[in-house]
Amino acid sequence: MGLFILRRLGVMILTALCLTFIVFWLTNLYPNLEKLAKTQGNFRMSDEAVTSYLTNRGYTQSLPVKYGQWLGVLPGWEIEGSDGELRRRCEEGQNYCGVLQGYWGYSTVFKEDVSKIIATRLALTGKLMFWVLMVMVPGALIIGILAGMREGSKLDRSLSTFSIMTTATPEYVSGVVLIAVFATPLFGMQYFKGTATSAMDDANFQNFFLPVITIALYGMGYIARMTRASMTEVMTAQYIRTARLKGVKFRTIVIKHALRNALIAPFTVIMLQIPWLLNGVVIVETLFNYKGFGWTLVQAASNNDIELLLGVSVVSVFVVLLTQLISDIGYVFLNPRIRIS
Amino acid sequence: MTPETQSRIHPAALTYAEDEKTGKLSRREFLARTTALGLTSAAAYGLIGLDAPAHAGGHAQQGGTMRMQMEVRALKDIRATDWTQMAFVYAGWLEYLVEYNSDGSFNPMLLESWDVNDDATVYTLKLRQGVKWNNGDDFTADDVARVITDWCDKSAEGNSMAGRFAVLIDPATEKAIDGAIQVVDTHTVQLNLPASDITLIAGMADYPAAIYHSGFDGENPLNDQVGTGPYLSESHEVGVKSVLVRNEGHDWWGYAAGKGGFLDRIEYIDYGTDPSAWVAAAAADEIDMIYETVGDFVEVFNGIGWEESAVASAATIVIRPNQVAEVNGMQPYANKKVRQAIAMACNNAVCLELGYANQGEVARNQHVGPMHPAWADVPALPYDPAKALEMITEEGMADFEFEITSIDDDWRRNTTDAVAAQLRDAGFNVKRTIIPGSTFWNDWTKYPFSSTNWNHRPLDTQILGLAYRSGEAWNEAAFANAEFDALLAEANSIADADARREVMAKLQGIMTDEGVTLQPYWRTVYRHAKPGFTGWDMHIAYLPQIYKIGVAT
Repeated sequence: MGLFILRRLGVMILTALCLTFIVFWLTNLYPNLEKLAKTQGNFRMSDEAVTSYLTNRGYTQSLPVKYGQWLGVLPGWEIEGSDGELRRRCEEGQNYCGVLQGYWGYSTVFKEDVSKIIATRLALTGKLMFWVLMVMVPGALIIGILAGMREGSKLDRSLSTFSIMTTATPEYVSGVVLIAVFATPLFGMQYFKGTATSAMDDANFQNFFLPVITIALYGMGYIARMTRASMTEVMTAQYIRTARLKGVKFRTIVIKHALRNALIAPFTVIMLQIPWLLNGVVIVETLFNYKGFGWTLVQAASNNDIELLLGVSVVSVFVVLLTQLISDIGYVFLNPRIRIS
Repeated sequence: MTPETQSRIHPAALTYAEDEKTGKLSRREFLARTTALGLTSAAAYGLIGLDAPAHAGGHAQQGGTMRMQMEVRALKDIRATDWTQMAFVYAGWLEYLVEYNSDGSFNPMLLESWDVNDDATVYTLKLRQGVKWNNGDDFTADDVARVITDWCDKSAEGNSMAGRFAVLIDPATEKAIDGAIQVVDTHTVQLNLPASDITLIAGMADYPAAIYHSGFDGENPLNDQVGTGPYLSESHEVGVKSVLVRNEGHDWWGYAAGKGGFLDRIEYIDYGTDPSAWVAAAAADEIDMIYETVGDFVEVFNGIGWEESAVASAATIVIRPNQVAEVNGMQPYANKKVRQAIAMACNNAVCLELGYANQGEVARNQHVGPMHPAWADVPALPYDPAKALEMITEEGMADFEFEITSIDDDWRRNTTDAVAAQLRDAGFNVKRTIIPGSTFWNDWTKYPFSSTNWNHRPLDTQILGLAYRSGEAWNEAAFANAEFDALLAEANSIADADARREVMAKLQGIMTDEGVTLQPYWRTVYRHAKPGFTGWDMHIAYLPQIYKIGVAT
């Protein structure tokens, strides 16, 4: 087990390295650097000014050198600019400053340390995700189990229709519809706020419900379908039939005998759904103006904020691989037939 | 308003007062001209027998919080400020020498008064007495001289003040000319210009012209907030929120001068670029006013019971062909006939209606308008699409594909669409390209044919100098015309607007005849606020006069 986790960690680091190098290469293409200079300097800057801006700040060094500096395996640049000012990548007295030294870089858009931005924004998204999972997982399991208990019944058909509908509706559609219905006076049902900006400091039912339900609905349908499929399969198994013939109550059969076996498949799906949710977070956070991780990604990408984008991609890699690791380990506990060595 | 400033009234000001009384001048023009000559606005109003309007602050209470929907951007070197939204943040602790008001007048702020000699080659700036930096230092002539010297540093990246003070810059060193900025005594600075320039006072009132302390951090102004103003930044989260709070320990000069500084706390909250999110925020009572209301949302905000403030400004859009741009190995827009044909194929009133919902005034493609002091009544080219088609057919351009580029937003895209549609109706072969805002500005001066928005400038010659003089960085039409440059230099030396009007007529004539650009309309700009605030009126040039805002009693 220990070896397995170790191997997984190794894969994680390797993936992070590859991904960050790709991101690094793309963000350091010259047109992107030019964009960076213009958003930082003056967006109507001349070409000479762009070149001197970039040279003075170490952007015109070769790609492997810059990547090495970011990693912290090469000494940081020190350039005396054409304006006579001496600029350094690292603080005074330090030669190496990169990820290995715990320095994640400085965001050019937000004028703050990347690590600090990611910590704040990730915490906010964590809050959103927590409530999404709190709504989505129980909701999806209940719908899936109710639908899967008696395949083909009226209850099954109506719940299945509901889950197919929610999964088929992307967040940018459902979010807009929900805002129009519940946050405008149009339909006389203005119960919630159409913006979650105030939820960053003080989340309450009114300002947080719509973003949470928008993400939750999308994932809910999918997980419910998986749970239903798994449940119907279990319900047709031999041992369930035996139990029914022996006269065990239907309730007891579902809860005691069927549930645990039926949950193995949905568990993996839920874990795999978490990285997917990060995707949805980008849209929903922008839609509801909730300044979390997804919103940061949009800002970093649209301003070509190199070091912030790298930080965001590292975090994303870790979230994806970590959830996979948890799902693999969780498998062992749910299904005794599976061993990890 | 000291006796000295009253006693010397610029001779031209008296002529203007006569003109205003006989109706030859509008009041706005009168105020813009006389106050730029050094009159206080009270004295200017006095010349035409009126009292200066009372400050709205008369009805404001001390204290309170105001929350404004505004894009929160990262701050940078003050001189390189390219968004007025940035100035709204640092205006908390940095102030301007002169302020420009929506009625066209220039009021002294950190200056007490100024004097311009008759041919606008010597400016004498008198500083306000008793102004202190919030670290306790005295505000002196050295500070002003230092900042003006910085403005004249053309090599500083993104420094747009260099364009406004170009006359003081030595082209060889790209720095201020030796002896041009002279400290006379602790409270007097004299600017000695090698050539006439009437726009310096207007330049000092523009948003990147805030006066900063010598210990200023060019990369991030938030690091060391030494300024003369009444507020300090409490927090500044880019894209999220920025908060200014009253600097309790600092005795701001404006309190004694009755300037205001009413609010205790100013919050700028960023709700993104989609105005429907602003409406949602207003409905949820999370904001008190909007930085700027645009397009259809003017009606929406009126609908929810907010108060409207509208100003007819010289903010505008130009849809210009770039004369040196190459398309398929030739320069299609170097041909004057083609440019004229484009202008003749477009009805500017249609652009205003479809592009900006009639919220403005029709313009004449000259980029000088009736809100400018020396505007001349020069007719535009006639609207004649049939003739336009004939002209491009003659020039062999009937099959040429005109690619018109615009940014992806609301009004700029729609106006450009209106131009494209009219060109198509006239029989041109048109292709429209829309580029997202994040990448549009990378090449904004180089697109062969594209639209750009331009902000209001107080004086008629300013925008011509920034955008149409040969070789200027912002000359996106790549217009190079020696006669135009010479006339512009001449206009820039005539402080008297009536005399300048003759030259302006020629300049506007060249703009029309050369078909330099389409400039279909002047925008009216709007702001909305929840009832219960004063002093928040929309500013004609979006200047950050936040000290005027207060909670109504």
